[in-house]
Amino acid sequence: MDTDLLSDTFVDLADTMVDDFDVIDFLHLLTDRSVALLAASAAGVLLADPRGELRVAAASSDAVELVELFQLQNDQGPCLDCFHTGQAVAVPDLTATVQRWPRFAGAAVSSGFRTVQALPMRLRDQVIGALNLFGAEPGPFDPMDLRIGQALADVATIGLLHARNVRRSETVAEQLQAALNSRVTIEQAKGKLAERLGIDMDGAFKLLRDHARNSNQLLTDVARDFVNSRTGDFPPQRSRRSGQRPRPGRGGLS
Amino acid sequence: MRGVPGEGAAAAQAPMTDSRAVAVWSRVAAHAAGHGRPVSLADVCAVAVTSALADGAWLAAARSGEPDFLMYATDLTGEQLAELQLTLGEGPCHDVLASAAPVLAADLDDEDYGGRWAGFTAEARRLGAAAVFAFPLVVGAIRAGAMGLYRGEAGPLTDGQLGDLLILADAATVMLLGTGNGFDGVDDGAGLDGQAPDLALHRAEIDQATGMLSVQLGVPAAEAFARLRAYAYSQDRRLADVAGDVVARQLRLHRDPGQDGGP
Repeated sequence: MDTDLLSDTFVDLADTMVDDFDVIDFLHLLTDRSVALLAASAAGVLLADPRGELRVAAASSDAVELVELFQLQNDQGPCLDCFHTGQAVAVPDLTATVQRWPRFAGAAVSSGFRTVQALPMRLRDQVIGALNLFGAEPGPFDPMDLRIGQALADVATIGLLHARNVRRSETVAEQLQAALNSRVTIEQAKGKLAERLGIDMDGAFKLLRDHARNSNQLLTDVARDFVNSRTGDFPPQRSRRSGQRPRPGRGGLS
Repeated sequence: MRGVPGEGAAAAQAPMTDSRAVAVWSRVAAHAAGHGRPVSLADVCAVAVTSALADGAWLAAARSGEPDFLMYATDLTGEQLAELQLTLGEGPCHDVLASAAPVLAADLDDEDYGGRWAGFTAEARRLGAAAVFAFPLVVGAIRAGAMGLYRGEAGPLTDGQLGDLLILADAATVMLLGTGNGFDGVDDGAGLDGQAPDLALHRAEIDQATGMLSVQLGVPAAEAFARLRAYAYSQDRRLADVAGDVVARQLRLHRDPGQDGGP
């Protein structure tokens, strides 16, 4: 465990939440740091949509196979079980679960993963999603890593729901839908930028995120302005709505 | 929801996604068939009312990101509530388009709402609405309109009602975007080509492909999304599969649809 990085991560997450912050940008920080801290090869956040789906809100990589693995868990897999039970689900060896989750386990193993862990994201008695960790080597995740992973998932839940503002139960549903639509906006912007510049989706995401940070704008605002811009120039002109958002104390974000 | 770990495995055997959307869509199609007409926004509103045990519903189309035009209302009060917001320039339908999140005002007497929309809340109460639920008709950066419902008695939606309404809002969004300018009239179900909205609407490839096509075709994202759906329908393929080909750069669309295809 890199304790310096761990401290930095909690400082960065707390720092981010002090201001008006972008939920998807925040969840990406979480998945990136989960990989760096928890001996995971990949990480993703799946949120439970009241339509009856699990939807990918953030992933440590946009590799098609990885996103597909997360999406497959609409039908079967540890994230779905974790969401249904509200309990962490550990799978030390995916090859032993082919019967339980034939499509998911097969796809995960052929993508080079041997172990998976799902950690619940809970607010009081409501399960809103799960943090999903994949590892390349068989064997359980370290128990201390999992405790830290659960703490990260808890912080993410609070950040996601702006929980200090959550007074009515309706607000949870409202915040979740806003977050899920932000994700859609960012995917549209990635596609437009990838096509425009002839680059891949990961590269497009990085450009969008870097521009948002360097210009003190929210990632979703940058993405929406770019999708709606007629010229398709990047970086996009700011719309009236996004405006300048002073965001002190962001130096620690990587 | 809680249970023994592993208990969820039984539930996990059934796909979460399609069953609920299929059931909701079947109710919309059955409602249209019962009236001997193609599926329209009127059927979506009617099913929304029965699903949510509401007293009325309405749909407004957006222009420049704000509600602009009442497309349909199930009853006079619904129409008055919708027009009230258009006149005042404030209310839950404006908020849902600005935030891209629903507004679930289960009790309009809650002081939060009086402060948020002073004019709307007072008049809505006078019209007999005690609860108002509004849903954005959006796909990412694309803003098509807003759907609203009201009840004469205060009280929250159940999780099941919320899920149904979100699915119905998706269907209305696709129908509004499919009609080109979105102002073709109340009974225009052409946006759905008579078929159910794609049941795997929420996949990253569809959104990425929409962005890519807006560049390939030189059109706004709303039109790129409509072209993607039209192409999938014309090829009798799933939207998600066609989107995957676009993202993998194995399929390009052209301004002249006759040239579509190939990498």
